[in-house]
Parts: sequence; C-alpha cells; structure tokens
Amino acid sequence: MAEAAALRVESLSRRFGGVAAVDGVDLEVHAGEALGVIGPNGAGKSTFINLISGALAPSSGRIVLFGEDITTCSADARTRRGIGRTHQIPRPFARMSVWENLALAARHARGGHDMRSVRANCRSILERTGLADVAARPAGALPLLRRKRLELARALALRPRLLLLDEIGAGLIESETRALIELIQSIRAEVEAVVLIEHVMDVITACCERTAVLASGRLLVVGDTRQVLASPEVAAVYLGTTDAGSGQAEDAAARPGAPATAAAALLEVSGATVNYGGVRALRGVDLKVRAGEVVALLGANGAGKTTLARAISGAVPLAAGSIRFDGSPISGLAAERITARGVGHCMEGRRIFASLSVEENLLLAVPPALRREAAARLEEIYAMFPALPAHRHKSGTALSGGQQQMLAIGRAMMSRPKLVILDEVSLGLAPIAVAQLYESLARIRATGVAMLVVEQNIHRGLQLADRACVLAHGSVRLAGRPEEIRGSRELRELYVGEDAGA
Amino acid sequence: MSVATTRRGAQRGRVPLAVIALLAGLALLAALPYLLGTYWQQLGFRALQLFTLAVAWNLLAGYAGQVSLGTGAFVGLGAYAFALLGNATGAPLPLLLLAAGAVAALFAIIVSPGLFRLRGLYFTIGSLALAEALRILMVNLSTFGGASGIVLQASTPPFYALYWLALVVALVAGGIVVALLHSPASLALRAVRDDEDVARQMGVRSFRVKLGAFALAAFLTGVAGGLQALKLGAIEPYGAFGMAWTIDTVAVVIIGGIATRGGPLLGTLLYVALGELLRDLPELHNAIGGLFLLLVIRLAPQGVWGLVTGRWAQRPGLAERADG
Repeated sequence: MAEAAALRVESLSRRFGGVAAVDGVDLEVHAGEALGVIGPNGAGKSTFINLISGALAPSSGRIVLFGEDITTCSADARTRRGIGRTHQIPRPFARMSVWENLALAARHARGGHDMRSVRANCRSILERTGLADVAARPAGALPLLRRKRLELARALALRPRLLLLDEIGAGLIESETRALIELIQSIRAEVEAVVLIEHVMDVITACCERTAVLASGRLLVVGDTRQVLASPEVAAVYLGTTDAGSGQAEDAAARPGAPATAAAALLEVSGATVNYGGVRALRGVDLKVRAGEVVALLGANGAGKTTLARAISGAVPLAAGSIRFDGSPISGLAAERITARGVGHCMEGRRIFASLSVEENLLLAVPPALRREAAARLEEIYAMFPALPAHRHKSGTALSGGQQQMLAIGRAMMSRPKLVILDEVSLGLAPIAVAQLYESLARIRATGVAMLVVEQNIHRGLQLADRACVLAHGSVRLAGRPEEIRGSRELRELYVGEDAGA
Repeated sequence: MSVATTRRGAQRGRVPLAVIALLAGLALLAALPYLLGTYWQQLGFRALQLFTLAVAWNLLAGYAGQVSLGTGAFVGLGAYAFALLGNATGAPLPLLLLAAGAVAALFAIIVSPGLFRLRGLYFTIGSLALAEALRILMVNLSTFGGASGIVLQASTPPFYALYWLALVVALVAGGIVVALLHSPASLALRAVRDDEDVARQMGVRSFRVKLGAFALAAFLTGVAGGLQALKLGAIEPYGAFGMAWTIDTVAVVIIGGIATRGGPLLGTLLYVALGELLRDLPELHNAIGGLFLLLVIRLAPQGVWGLVTGRWAQRPGLAERADG
C-alpha cells in the first residue's frame, strides 16, 4: 500500500441528456503529487471535479479515494473522507461573514470539535490567503477576486487530504500569480495530493509534475507536464497556434481605417473621480477615445479599470469630473439612456441569461428604435462571431466559456453602439478560445466601432489597441501607443513589481 | 477580526447592565397579572403566543432558509393533540402541552422526506399545500369531530393562569432558539440557507440540519397550538388550522426583521400594538396593516430591528472598493 493512489477514477462518465460531458476517463492521482488538468472550455474539467467531490453523480464508472470506493457517497460524506474543493464561480455563504464561512468549514474538518484549534486554524488561513482584513465583512460583499480567495481559504479550512482547485489563478497579474504559486507550493506540504484545473500555464508549469489534458470529455493525454505542453496534439486543441507569430503580422496589416490623431474625441473623460463608501476608486482620470479607435485599459487588480468602465456606462456615479460622449455630457444619465446614446458595455462576468436561448439573449438587447432591423442586426452579429449561429436555439449557458463570452459581446453590440466597452473578456478562457475571441474583436474593429478594452492580458490588449492607458491606484500612470507602452519600464514595474499587488 | 473583538469586548463591559435590565423586564412580565386587568392579561397571552410562533418561524425561515407557509397546520395539530389527549387521559397541563408539541414535531419528521425534495419557492408552496390539505382533511374526517370540532372536558383556567403558562412557553421557546443561534449549529443552519449544495461540500449533513430546524419549529408551533385549545375550551378545524395563523406569524417576523435575533420580539410588540390601535376600525384594519407591511418590506428589508441596529452598525472604513 506504500504507493497507493490518492485518487483513482475508472471509466468515469457523466452524460447530460445526449451529451457526454465526461466520457470514460481513467486517471490516477498519485499520493504526494500535484496533477494539473488543462483543456479547452467545455472539455469537462469542472464536471470532472464535480463528479469527484460529489456535487454530481456519475452516469457510470468508479471513484476510489485512498483505496476506498466513494462512488455512491454523498458530497458531505466525501468531505469527511478528505476531499476539499473550490468552485470556479465562487459560491460563498453570502450572508455569513468571511470568518463564519471559514469557521463552518473548519468545524466540519477533522479535529473540528476543538474550538481553540478551529480558531487558530481559521486565523492562520486568513493570514495566508490575505483575507484577514475583511474577516468581519459579509462574504457576499467581497469583489470577485477576493471571493476566489475565500473559495481557497474555505477549502483549506477543511484540512483536506485531496485538494481540488478549479481555476483559482484567473484574473491575476504577474506578481499575484507568483504569490499564488508560492501559496500552492506551501499547501502541498499539508495535503496529500492536489488536482489543479488552470488556464494560467505559469501556475501549471510551476506547481504540477504531471498534467492531464481533457478534450470533449475524454482524457487526451496525461504525463510529465513539460512533455505534455510541448506535444503538438495539445497545442492544436488547447494552446492554439495563432498566439504570437501570426498576430504580429495582423497587427500591421489589418488596419484599414486607423483613425487620424486629429479626429474629434468620441468619448472624453475628464477629471473622473469615484468613491466607493469612503474609498476613492478613481482619482481625476482623463481619457479620450476617438471614433473608430481601440484603447486598451491596463493595470493591476484594484487599479480602477472596472470602476472607470462602469462610470462611463452609468453604473456608478461620479463624485467629480465629467464624461462627454459624441459631443454631449452623459455623466449623471441613467444607464439605459447612455446605452441609447451609443455606448455598449460588455460587463465582467458575462451575465448570460440561462433561461433564454442564444438568439433570445441577443434579441433582448435590441433597443426599441432598432426593432425593425433586429433580424438584420442578428445576422451582422453572427457574421462577427461565426461560432454562434450553430447554437442559436440552445440555452445561453449551454455554450462553452469562449462562446458565452462571444455571446456577451454580441449582446453588447446589438444596440449598434459607436463605442463598446469590453471588460475582462478573456478571463477564464483557454488560450485557444482567447485567440478565437480576439479574431472576432479584430472583425468588430474593422467595422469602425470604437472600443475600450479592459484587459489583464497585456499582450492581447496591446496587440489589438491603437492606444493604451495604464491605471494604477485610481489614476492614469501611463498612456501612449502600444509599442511605447510595451517596452516601457514603468509597465514592467506596475505588473511585476512589489508595489503592484496593493 | 479587530471589529469582531472590539464588539465582543464592548458587550462584555455591558453585561451587568443587560442582565439587570433583563431580570427587571422578566419580573415586570411575571407580575403583570397583579398590576393590570383581564383585558391586558388576554392581550399579553395573545402577544406571547404570537411571539412563540414568530420565534419558531424565524428559526425555520430566517436562519435555516426554509420559508414555510405551514404554520397553521402545526398550530392545528398541536391544538387537536392537546384536546384529544387531554380528553382521553386527563394528564396534567404541562405534559399535554409537551405532547401537543411532540405530535406536531412527529408530523414534521414524517412529511420531511417528501417536503425536503422541494427547494426554495417549491418548498414554500409545498408547505402551503400540505397545510390546506390537512385542514380539509380535518373538516371532513368525522373521527376527530369533523367540521364542528371537539369540546375540552377540562375547564378553562383563569386568564392569569393562561398568561403565565404562555409566558413560560414563550421564554422557553426564546431561550432554546437564542441558545441554538449562539451554538455552532447556527453556522450550519445559515450555510444551508445561503447555499445548500456548497454546505454539503463543506461536510454539513444538510438533510439533518433542515430536519432539526423543521422539527423544532414544528414543536414550538404545536405547543402554541395547545395553548390555543386550552384558552378556547373548544376547537374546530377552520380556526385551528386557519391561514390566519400563518399570515400573522409571517407578518410579525417580516415587520420585526427576518433572520434577526430581536425581530420576533419587536415585530410582536408592533403588530399587537397596531392591532389594538385599529381595533375600532375593523374595516380599515387589514388595509392599514397591509400597507404597514408593504412599507416595511420596501423601506426596511431587514425589518424594523434591522433598521434600528443597521443605523448603529454603520461606521466608516468598513466599505471596500468593489473594483475587480
């Protein structure tokens, strides 16, 4: 029993209707290892974790945890046997405090009857995951990345033997990613095995000896991480081939109407200041977007990018400053009026209506003035996103992550905006899906729509943009042409430096 | 953390004062029959009974997240169990009240496997349908007196005795629930309420947690039903199993503040006071009561208790930027 597997799954399958989300997977997680799981969006990675943790029952197959068959165990019984997990879309107990979220988990962990050790355990986890300052706040009030941290903290509080991590690295900048890698490395000393689903390759290569690749519910390959990532097969289904080389070519070529610098500003933000309950999120930001121009908005988490996007579309009020669009002031207008003036906003987190079909999701966004052209508009959107029309009658959330993101952008485009704001559209997408998404964005750019692109992925953002603007601590730190920004030392410092995580 | 500790520290400093206030309040409540007449004793009985129901419903709906509209069913079961067992055995009052609660709790346990298959709104509708079905059954079932009901053989005690009995029941009910909410079980209850699936992923046996809350709430509700039978001396299904019980209870908790510790108490006081103020305007009673409820829901979703404590709790520096 010395070399007993931490987890073994045998021909594990799960079907939803006629679709096999996980299809006959055989896989072993060795004791003491961290196994990476990668694959395109919709490959069945999250379903795989749901099957192991007991959130879903398998259609067939067997799951063996530390030598014990747990296939028919309930979710809570599996937790007692040593499984801890995070959720890709965070699910905190929203009306309980962060502390209570942890305390609940810690009390149900092994040794959870001793209140003193529970408290000590929770306190140390809060410190390690950087949540100590928000311990008393209701978990539902945390911003997205903090919620992701809470997912990890809560799973740790269970003192699991096998830890299942589902995309905890999404949306982090480089310095934060490095801190996360260190955290995972330190966790490995405390748990017997880790399964790590991740799109951030740095985390996979730094933490996982072996990596498994899922595609369309099947296990494509499993083996040494470096060899797996180097294999051409994996590159084809997952990493995509259009990443660096061809992108450069397109950079120079496909820009028919690069706007003249003299063109009048379509959007003009001056001195924009926003307060969130005592905290100043934006401090006098100036920003211009000309007609047809693409501006990338870069910066660390918490720098104020999303706040600026939300201020422009009217979701948060300005404390000072003004925003003009197409020649008239829009600050203070209701969000729907700003939309009617020609600002489309694709919000962070997709927000697809699950009960509506793809087409209904799109038609919902047609403003009254454009009702007659709805059908034509629909076809234009489908032309921008050729992956969508095949699924037009499916539920909006039945699509893969990349397609859902296309749908969200398409929905923002239905009102025929002059400016579209895209907030973190590549978040949580597989590299190949990001590549396809950016091909679609290039098509949108070619139609002459101005774009404000909030992006964590500097490379992608700069490749698409005519100009870029870097925010730090609520003000503009750097602005200029992509080639100037790309090489600048300040950008490196902001993204990699010590100061960046604040 | 620092907020939690300082708040706890402040509470510790205030404990003697709070204990004195609590004891004085209890003494006053206990002495009420010596100070005020039968009208007030009756009113006190109604308030204490309503408080017991509200405490039970707040536990089930507010903390465990199982929004039931079946309060009437458990009041009726308690009342019938009290009357039938009392007539059959002549057992002492406290024993009969416990039996009334036990019968209601037993019924909750029996229906829970079916009822807990329903979640959220479906559970709510399921509980309502169950209560209606039970009422119609009792109207048509001649074994238990059918539509005309049952007369208690024992004589009805005087008002002051009823009042004291209701006071004891209300204190025990409030005590049990407060103790429960201070125990670690409170976390499991609220976790099931916030996200049952994730709670199970945290190792919480959600079925047991829900069943525990449901059975305890049913028990307390059943005891309150037993009190009702004792007070009336005769029971019939339309009143005992009536929707009015459910409506009053829900209104009390919503007005006072759902999922708050002080909500049931404050809600009971406001609701009973409102009823008394409008006693001479029966035609306006429901309309004004409803308007009041609407205003509370619109302006104070955490109820009047939440409004009051929320004002105190608001302090700068706790808000964090919502930026991604």
